[in-house]
Amino acid sequence: MSNLKKKLMNGDFVITVEVTPPRGPNITEMVNKLEELKKVVDAVNFTDNPSAKMRLCSMAACKISLDLDFEPVLQMTCRDRNRIGIQSDLLGAHALGIRNILVMTGDHPALGDHKEAKPVYDIDSSILVKLVNNLNNGLDINGNKLNGKTEFFCGAVVNPNAEPILPQLKRFEQKLKMGAEFFQTQMIFEIEKLERFIDYSKKFNTKVIAGIVMIRTKKMLHYIASKVPGVLIPKWLIDEVEKLKDEDVEKFGIDFACSIILSIIEKRLCDGIHIMAFSKVQEVKNLLNLIKIKT
Amino acid sequence: MIITKKKNLKDIESFIKEFNSFFLIGCSECATLCGTGDEDAILSFKEWLENQNKKVTGLMIAKTGCQILSTKRQLNEHKEAIDEAQCIVVLSCGAGTQTITEFFKEKPIIPLNDTLFIGNMRRLREFEEKCRACGECFLAITGICVVTLCPKSMLNGPCGGYKEGRCEVNPLRKCAWTIAYEILEKREFVERFYEDILGPKDWSKSNSPREFKER
Repeated sequence: MSNLKKKLMNGDFVITVEVTPPRGPNITEMVNKLEELKKVVDAVNFTDNPSAKMRLCSMAACKISLDLDFEPVLQMTCRDRNRIGIQSDLLGAHALGIRNILVMTGDHPALGDHKEAKPVYDIDSSILVKLVNNLNNGLDINGNKLNGKTEFFCGAVVNPNAEPILPQLKRFEQKLKMGAEFFQTQMIFEIEKLERFIDYSKKFNTKVIAGIVMIRTKKMLHYIASKVPGVLIPKWLIDEVEKLKDEDVEKFGIDFACSIILSIIEKRLCDGIHIMAFSKVQEVKNLLNLIKIKT
Repeated sequence: MIITKKKNLKDIESFIKEFNSFFLIGCSECATLCGTGDEDAILSFKEWLENQNKKVTGLMIAKTGCQILSTKRQLNEHKEAIDEAQCIVVLSCGAGTQTITEFFKEKPIIPLNDTLFIGNMRRLREFEEKCRACGECFLAITGICVVTLCPKSMLNGPCGGYKEGRCEVNPLRKCAWTIAYEILEKREFVERFYEDILGPKDWSKSNSPREFKER
């Protein structure tokens, strides 16, 4: 059983961090970051060509991380592989020792750096959860027997910010029914929206890890607001950041992320947090230190 | 209908520059509704050719260019003019163009149009894609075609990328699944829909080339 699963099942509060694999063959910087991060968080979550921008593959990054003794979470989208490729890659990942996976449909190529690419989307993420559940039961997606069972700990994503929210909640429920064992949320900027989702998800027995982003610059905030699918940043937050001097934004970002995390802990909303720091190690450390001080 | 769009004439130049005589073929069905294969379209292209001192030996508007045998009969009526032409330019869809290719393997057949999609016409010459001929119709369940209208062909509800009901790929469009979900709600079908899971879809039904014989 993966350490992440063990901790979540024990009721421990988990901390994972997102790392985007490099754009190119040089992995030195990523390895250095992993060496630092493994001291402070429970697992590292490697994105699968995020925003449809081509990167080193998540599976290789997971293997590199395993070799460093740092538990990885493999992100797998439906954008670039059909059901044959997905199953084959998942079996390969399992053989390499990867156990945690986080599945999602994936941002469309129209948003990425290879806009002319043919999107695959052979299956959607609900079916992908079912597929992983099949593998865990020794079956392929068609129900044919495999020569053994995988032991994946399968997570799925949910976007508590979505408007309208109902269709999103229904899909959450469907993924749960298909076998998702934990959920990671889209980045949270409004605790009320997270609460609205948790009110609903509490009816079900599942684990939820809240997505936390650290605002570093005004440019980054505008990028997230305009380019990241499914994320609406409230106007008051944009106004507040706009009023700041550029050099004060980073501190504000850490304080803001900290305040969200503390609310989550105080209100016992989630089972952990997932930090999207765009691979900035020092900021993750600063944030975690600040939480320690305040809790 | 099949929606077609006239190619940029600059792109056509390289295909026609070595020829001096042309036979032109339009189509009275979809390409006429699109304005890419009607008489006006043919005459305008004829004028463009003649302005370059090229000769048009004749023209014809196929009744239904994708009907192979009836088009063959129509072509027979223009045998002389076609024989005289060094090449044939077809103003229809890709299907109609290949009807012509069947009968003239030795003569260059040049399409003047690009074939875009199966479309519905909202206003004159404003077309929208609603069906992509996937071979497995879910409209009885979802009301609108989510295979076509959702850029990710999601079968079980929206992805997490929509913002205020707008699609992540094109924010000018409503998320197809927010529309489909409203339909499910109005038909009081939501709970029943989510009792099961739709898919995995059988994409083999839309693998090309397809054939169908009603026999």
